[in-house]
Amino acid sequence: MSLTVAIVGSGLLGRMLGVQLDRAGYSVSLFDRDQKDGRGSCSYVAAGMLAPTCELDSSEAEIGEMGQRSLRQWPRFLEKLPSKVFFQEQGSLVVAHRLDRGELSLLQGRVRGRIHDESLIRNVSGKELGELEPDLEDRFSEGLFFPREGQVDNRGLLQVLTETILSRGLEWISGVAVDQISPGEISFGGEKRRFDWVVDCRGLGAKTDIPELRGVRGELIRVSAPEVSIRRPVRILHPRYSIYLVPRPENVVVIGATSIESEDLSPISIQSTMELLSAAYAVHPGFAEARVLETIVGCRPSFPDHRPRMYYQQGLMRLNGLYRHGFLIAPWVVEMACHALKQGEPSAEARELGLVF
Amino acid sequence: MRVAVHRPFTIGEVELKSRLLLGTAQYPSPDVMVRAIEASRCEVITVSLRRQNAAGGGGEGFWDIIRGLGLHVLPNTAGCRTVQEAITVANMGRELFDTSWVKLELIGDDYTLQPDPIALIEATKVLAEDGFEVLPYMTEDLVVARRLVDAGCRVLMPWGAPIGSGQGILNPYALRTLRSRLPDMTLLVDAGLGRPSQAAEAMEMGFDGILLNSAVALAQDPVLMAKAFSRAIEAGRQGFEAGLIPSREMGVPSTPTLGTPFWQQQAAGKEEGS
Ligand SMILES: Cc1cc2nc3c(=O)[nH]c(=O)nc-3n(C[C@H](O)[C@H](O)[C@H](O)COP(=O)(O)OP(=O)(O)OC[C@H]3O[C@@H](n4cnc5c(N)ncnc54)[C@H](O)[C@@H]3O)c2cc1C
Repeated sequence: MSLTVAIVGSGLLGRMLGVQLDRAGYSVSLFDRDQKDGRGSCSYVAAGMLAPTCELDSSEAEIGEMGQRSLRQWPRFLEKLPSKVFFQEQGSLVVAHRLDRGELSLLQGRVRGRIHDESLIRNVSGKELGELEPDLEDRFSEGLFFPREGQVDNRGLLQVLTETILSRGLEWISGVAVDQISPGEISFGGEKRRFDWVVDCRGLGAKTDIPELRGVRGELIRVSAPEVSIRRPVRILHPRYSIYLVPRPENVVVIGATSIESEDLSPISIQSTMELLSAAYAVHPGFAEARVLETIVGCRPSFPDHRPRMYYQQGLMRLNGLYRHGFLIAPWVVEMACHALKQGEPSAEARELGLVF
Repeated sequence: MRVAVHRPFTIGEVELKSRLLLGTAQYPSPDVMVRAIEASRCEVITVSLRRQNAAGGGGEGFWDIIRGLGLHVLPNTAGCRTVQEAITVANMGRELFDTSWVKLELIGDDYTLQPDPIALIEATKVLAEDGFEVLPYMTEDLVVARRLVDAGCRVLMPWGAPIGSGQGILNPYALRTLRSRLPDMTLLVDAGLGRPSQAAEAMEMGFDGILLNSAVALAQDPVLMAKAFSRAIEAGRQGFEAGLIPSREMGVPSTPTLGTPFWQQQAAGKEEGS
């Protein structure tokens, strides 16, 4: 008889873990208060940037390490899925207008202070920038290139994970909130069920049990920009914000994201809209005629140190606090979770990088 | 007019030991922020409310961390552009943190974030009337300063340079003028400082304290930088209290120097003077 696992919360983390545990022979049941399209999850909102080095601008070195390890795992994970998910690893660029050039050296200083491998970041001239992104030729006099970065299409991934889970015949109860979680047991809609393991992947929904969790509001705009052809994520720096443009197939560009200390999920503000759109326009005038497809708001599940955490006890594991790094570090976090369940304790690696709380 | 040297540092009725006020924005994480604040030993922290949708209970998680520090909270109106907006945010701050203090920030120019002096005076009048202890973020203009004092301010916070620019004191002459013309006011330099030495410089000029944010929050090691600023501010203050010797023009000797014939000295003096 295989061990039974209840995964509560089927956002990015819950789905990936579900698929991996199923492959490893566990009997997996997923629970989510949301529908299977995942529209209520933070994962549905994200930009899907995989920027382990650039993120070091405001994260500790361990996040970069988790990101590097995950970046190696992504292609292998995606390969095994039944349908294709847009994934790219062609590096990312950071640019700033002449007036804001100081921001480039600030970012560079902070990032270089946290890496050992110098090949992860490269200063590029305006000309080299133009070679990497012909559309940006002559627009900036310098920039930074992060060759080992990429992106994954968050929504495409959620959708393919849904297909995978359904086709493998996993139990998946959606549209019902789980109201209590304890080792080996969950209750929902007046019903109680027992499992060998319960894994809490509820993101911000776990706040009732983990009071330290807080939401950090983020706003994004998706546009259709046929006049702009950038190939890889480009981040533009400004004294007060850093905004990235993430090109997706079929001329879609994701422009994001704000970061506001708030758990408010109301629609995007005018100020944020103006900041995001004017940043995009400042990178490329072709955005003037782009069409706004959608504005989206989500709250990143965050701990005070902005690092992910695994709480581990017999019969109950909690995975949370992916903050702005969910896609960046999910493969590694999922691997650590599988390992902990299999071995009966978290690995040394998970402890070393500070995942185990 | 002389600035009283050995006097306590107070905001409102509260006497403070630390002359550093620290902002709470832009840190890599709340955890780093808390450690930086603790390392700085500051007693007052400023908090920005504008975009958090505080009215809707939006920032609770973050407010809890701020409250948990047990320090004096100085809510600020960062990001406000109109008098009405600033008044609304000030009231929000009063409710959220149970304090009458407010750092009044009213932006007149979006790129430099230069304060709008006219709106500032207007909003100060309304808020002071309503019982707020208004700490206005202002340019270094003496006349604006006087008007703010008339409107009820007991603390003024001229900028050193534009917010976040890290340029240090761009107009020492004007800041010195403010200091000597308003000897009894509590004057803080707010914004524009990038280096601990610049904070020390302001303190040596007789300013009562310093308000900082970016220089600490965006440093490679915010915790260490907080400590550095805290020490520089103490050193600058002690320098001021100890009485700085005036700097001397050593190029021209004021009295004959032994060992040099007087006719050579005269010639040198003439040359210098011509
Ligand atoms: C604007 C924005 C941009 C971002 N950009 C990036 C990026 O570029 N790169 C990157 O790596 N990361 C990015 N992120 C971060 C990333 O989205 C998150 O880290 C990640 O989605 C968190 O995944 P999760 O599975 O932990 O949580 P979620 O995706 O929120 O999933 C939690 C699930 O639990 C369910 N749930 C909650 N409570 C209950 C309950 N009581 N019962 C049943 N189910 C429940 C929810 O319905 C949800 O489906 C971004 C985030 C935002 C907001």
